[in-house]
Amino acid sequence: MRLAIPHRQRLPLAIAALGLLFLGVFLLYPLANVFGASLLDSEGQSFTFANYTKMLGRPFYRAAIVNTLGIGAAATAITTLLAVPLAFALARLPIPGKAAILALAAMPLVLPSFVSAYAIVLLLGNSGIVTAALREIGIDIGSIYGAGGIVLVYTLTLYPYVLLPTVAAFKAVDVSMEEAAQGLGSSPGRAVRTVILPIVLPAILAGALLVFIETLENFGVPFVLAEDLPIFAVEAFKLFIGETAPNPASAGVLATLLILTTVLVLLIQRRFLASRRFATNARQAPPILKIGPAFRLLATLYCWAIVLLALVPFFAIVVLSFLEFRGPVLHGNFSLANFATLFSRDLRPLANTLAFASAAALCVTLIGVPVGYVVTRYRSGVATLLDVVATLPFAVAGTVLAIGFVVSFNSGPVILTGGPLILVLAYTVRKVPFAVRSASAIVHQIDPSLEEASISLGRSPLQTFVRIVVPLMLGGILSGVVLTWVTVASELSATVVLYSGPWRTMTVVMFQALEGGGAGIATAAASTLIVVTLIPVALLYRLLRRYELG
Amino acid sequence: MTDIVIAGVSRSFGTVRAVDAVDLTVAEGEFFTLLGPSGCGKTTLLRMIAGFCELDSGEIRFGEHRIDRLSAHRRDIGMVFQNYAVFPNLTVEGNVAYGLKARRIPPDEAARQVDEALALVQLAGYGERKPHELSGGQLQRVAIARALVIRPQVLLFDEPLSNLDARLRVSMRAEIRALQKSLGITAIYVTHDQEEAMSVSDRIALMNAGRLEQVGPPAEIYRHPASRFAAEFMGTTNLVKATALGLAAPVWVSLRPEALRFAEEAPAGWQRIAATVTRIEMLGPITRIDSTLANGTPIRMALLDAPHQALAAGAAVSLAFDTARLTVLP
Repeated sequence: MRLAIPHRQRLPLAIAALGLLFLGVFLLYPLANVFGASLLDSEGQSFTFANYTKMLGRPFYRAAIVNTLGIGAAATAITTLLAVPLAFALARLPIPGKAAILALAAMPLVLPSFVSAYAIVLLLGNSGIVTAALREIGIDIGSIYGAGGIVLVYTLTLYPYVLLPTVAAFKAVDVSMEEAAQGLGSSPGRAVRTVILPIVLPAILAGALLVFIETLENFGVPFVLAEDLPIFAVEAFKLFIGETAPNPASAGVLATLLILTTVLVLLIQRRFLASRRFATNARQAPPILKIGPAFRLLATLYCWAIVLLALVPFFAIVVLSFLEFRGPVLHGNFSLANFATLFSRDLRPLANTLAFASAAALCVTLIGVPVGYVVTRYRSGVATLLDVVATLPFAVAGTVLAIGFVVSFNSGPVILTGGPLILVLAYTVRKVPFAVRSASAIVHQIDPSLEEASISLGRSPLQTFVRIVVPLMLGGILSGVVLTWVTVASELSATVVLYSGPWRTMTVVMFQALEGGGAGIATAAASTLIVVTLIPVALLYRLLRRYELG
Repeated sequence: MTDIVIAGVSRSFGTVRAVDAVDLTVAEGEFFTLLGPSGCGKTTLLRMIAGFCELDSGEIRFGEHRIDRLSAHRRDIGMVFQNYAVFPNLTVEGNVAYGLKARRIPPDEAARQVDEALALVQLAGYGERKPHELSGGQLQRVAIARALVIRPQVLLFDEPLSNLDARLRVSMRAEIRALQKSLGITAIYVTHDQEEAMSVSDRIALMNAGRLEQVGPPAEIYRHPASRFAAEFMGTTNLVKATALGLAAPVWVSLRPEALRFAEEAPAGWQRIAATVTRIEMLGPITRIDSTLANGTPIRMALLDAPHQALAAGAAVSLAFDTARLTVLP
């Protein structure tokens, strides 16, 4: 008998092959090089663990590991403690303006966290506005730099990662669970503790894990706020780009340790969640609880306070960008001078940001949607492999991937450094997991028999994908494009390693202004980034609402 | 119009033999039903014909052409799905025209054929509607029109009525059969409902655990089941030792409840047995009477509604049946 690939398998196998090829070249190969660099001696000839022993032998880098994990753990714990009650209040308590709270709460997810960090410096830093005002009346708030400030910014910017899935989970608990618990003699409080919380626990943990990984990988926030405190992602960057000679081996060690930590955390979470998955399909959303007016007021204040506090830094940046700076010193006059300086110098960075974000959003969609389709529809070894590889970028910090790119594509058969393509490729690889996840979630909602109907009517699997699957996924694809676009527009960690010459982006301009102390330009760049981020999201929101109504 | 030959077809999933060496020939224009409990392999076999499931061995032919290696979209099949699978992003017209467009039929001609097909399923004038504006029964009509309009060689039905309510099921199955007969397209129909299978089919293949249990016209399988499984699956029956019925042969027999009558209303020459009534169940058109024989064997009888019969549990009765209605089972 002729050995042939069955017809049904051809399209998914072709997609999987292309996906694996792309991720093999632009993810696995660079990572292998980073890993390799950390395991080679100074001549690059023989295999050695010397780099690891050297790095781990130095108290400075041991401190970097402890600081990073400690700050991550603290931020995760605080975020969770704040977000879970908030989620419960939004899901089950009579809070006025819930829709507005939820919309505002999602905003920190798309706004760049280092902008928030910079705003905190301008407000609460050594010569910050609030600091100065308080000093006038004799209050010293101490330094915002270091672990405290970093944890504060992480909490303000990352809490939606816990909040949003937990709200959904609280709403998905069927009311009969609670009624059963109470029918068996539990008080409402005990029912929440013994029945509801265990059911929503997986959602809380999944969100908390995202927060923890974000803190491990984040480069911008510690870069702005750490001062002398050593932090993983920043030190890897400094070792690689550093003032002294670039040191790929040492940077590789930090990068490898960072990846291993993230992967370890992911595996622990998987292990833990595997035995705790509950199907909770609420036929109707659980009812809003009746509470007294005092408790209601308290809960309302709590919700609004968290959501608004998280947005204060962004609001402050926008206001400050319209005030007059002389050097780092702020004067109270309204002025467009910051924007004039920013854009009279060069419009190129803004154009770059818009172009890169558009190109990356296109690439991510073209790769993520078919891959998400294949990993959802086909159960096979290849599909599983593709799923794992396509999720991997999630565990790789932007700094690390960028170092891998430089090591891999600086010489040899493919030279990409110095051009714009390397930035687009790095963004694409970084955002693919999100596109795959969201595409996969939509494909789950599409009945496979629709595709079979189309095929039996004479359309090939590829035509069926284009004519039936893609149109049905359109709303979700569009959201994915916009989310990719805005997160790429404010990407910092890979950009600062990979940009060159004329290919600076708005984030780089802001980054350089931070280093050079040009507060006026930095705030103007930050404001521009906020606008560039919020306009597409607002447009999408309107478009999707019309789509739902129509 | 094509006959379908299924020869030595097998498929395993892990250690489960979902379809186990099945041989079948479906005649041109025949309405053929694959009947069986869930997990018997009927859906797998249908999906093999459609091209959505690969064969481990064997072959499938439409007429002279072997189609099991052909990719699904080249098999020229009209398929109707359990959950309708009407494309929600297209209008009714768009759905019905979908297969015609794939075949590059010119728009004018396609529009004419779509109207014709919609009229055939009594949906004339619904072309502009979106699927979410239609009821379940109407959606299934759209799905049928969409499958018919391409004039396929073969029509496949995958439990098409199981999501409809009971009344609609009864009227739709008659319509489906009438449509198939008027167009003369060979049809294979999958269901787990024996009454539905008997109502629509020219012939039925009863399947069990991946194998064909019995193949034949509905009446033949009902009246002459080839096995205990066939006897029980095709409807309520009494599976008893012939000796319990006062006969000499030591064999298992099947005796349908409606073959029994009260002795005083039975012709002379029927076999008579004494029994005690244990339960009477009045179902409207028929009344079920459960009783036990002297040796404790339960026996079930079904009568058309008989108002003159006044009986209560515990009554001693004499039952009778025609020995010609017994089926001896292996």
